[in-house]
Amino acid sequence: MKRHGIEITGVSFSIGDFRMENMNLAVPEGEYLVLTGPNGAGKTVLTKLVCGLFSPLSGGISILGRDVTAEPPWKRRVGYVPQDTPLFPNRGVRGNIEFGLEVAGIGKKERRSDAAEIAGKLGIEGLLDRGVDGLSGGERQKVCLARALVLGPDILILDEPVSAIDEDSRSEICAFLKNEHGKTGVTTIHISHNSDETAMLADRVVRMESGKIL
Amino acid sequence: MKPARHGKKFDVLMWTPLAAYLVMILALLSAMMARITWPAVKTAFSDDALLSAIRLSLETSFLSAFLSVSLAIPAGYALSRSRFPGLAALDTILDLPIVLPPLIIGLAVLIFFSSPFGRWLDRLNGAEGWIIYHPAGIVLVQFLIGAAIATRVVKAGFDNVDERYENVAWTLGANRWQAFAKVAAPLVWPNVAAAAVISWARIFGLFGPVLLVAGTMRGHTEIMPTTIFLEISIGRLEVALVVGAMMVAISMATLLAFKKLGGKGYLW
Repeated sequence: MKRHGIEITGVSFSIGDFRMENMNLAVPEGEYLVLTGPNGAGKTVLTKLVCGLFSPLSGGISILGRDVTAEPPWKRRVGYVPQDTPLFPNRGVRGNIEFGLEVAGIGKKERRSDAAEIAGKLGIEGLLDRGVDGLSGGERQKVCLARALVLGPDILILDEPVSAIDEDSRSEICAFLKNEHGKTGVTTIHISHNSDETAMLADRVVRMESGKIL
Repeated sequence: MKPARHGKKFDVLMWTPLAAYLVMILALLSAMMARITWPAVKTAFSDDALLSAIRLSLETSFLSAFLSVSLAIPAGYALSRSRFPGLAALDTILDLPIVLPPLIIGLAVLIFFSSPFGRWLDRLNGAEGWIIYHPAGIVLVQFLIGAAIATRVVKAGFDNVDERYENVAWTLGANRWQAFAKVAAPLVWPNVAAAAVISWARIFGLFGPVLLVAGTMRGHTEIMPTTIFLEISIGRLEVALVVGAMMVAISMATLLAFKKLGGKGYLW
């Protein structure tokens, strides 16, 4: 039997008025799952539970067969691209992309080379020496993606990665994601409200409403 | 390139109150400087006690400001990032050293050190004590007041740093220490510089509580504000004014240096 890239088992969680009870979701290894649903459905909460930014009240979460429920986010090896592209303002584009490599203790030469390689794939090598102020929405999003992907994560969580950018950048990023997923086969959860994006990328579409999978 | 400026009357209106206030400050400083005489300057600088007071003022105020900021960075972060019942009460306790008259802080320190536990603490270093009527007492009262101000300023900085930056840093493999040191702390640097300025400025001129806790022993616990008090009390107004003018010069130089350190985005 193929192992699961992500397995959420009986997870309950609450924050403010929002409740999630006995959530079960299994994403087979290598699947590109698109999560849809209205605002407030709990999609972002679910991804934050997988990343370890929220802790479930009960239940368990596994990544590639490893129980990560009690693990802190920095040990989970999850590539996370949140909404609104929060790039570190005290670092330039290169500093942002190299951040994870730097904290992992990778040497400067290797960091430079890895950052240049991922930037090249995303077509942002010309931005490497720039600051993050003044980047367009599409450029910011590409830097965010590069920052997450340069670490070679076990799974990828994308929270509306192309929702607030222009059409050209959106197509470009979607094409990149499809190509990259084809090459690496990394298990992905991608939150989206856009049907074209969903049709282009999804192996499977799951809809959430009021903290439940429909 | 100069930005386009429209509505000069608006600018004039905004600048007028500031200009009036600056005139008031400069008028006071000028009046003070006008009374200073050359013999008074010579008397002041030939007095070893005064030179010792200047040295002790600088040593204690910089040490206290350093200790205040050292406490403010972790304390400001903890207050900014924590949510628990009673946080508002804890936060309000922190405001007390800012709001209370400094003299009350000095009095409280004296009362505390007259208790059995306080006496034991004071005599850890021998029967003579090391806090009350000692330079350490000056640092203690300065720190008690400076730390509250510094923490308030640094906390405001962390409040303005989106927690999502740290969240993202965690998912990129940074543990809490690394996320703090590489992401959150660098973003509050202007606030740390502002905290150093504001706490030092408050500490440097502190008089009442220092007088109560450390006294005014020449060459031992005398600092510049207490020198001014002593000089006035023995009728040497001109010498007191020389010391005051020196405090103005030291304050200007230190504040300008701190502001330079704060760099772009400085909040003061």
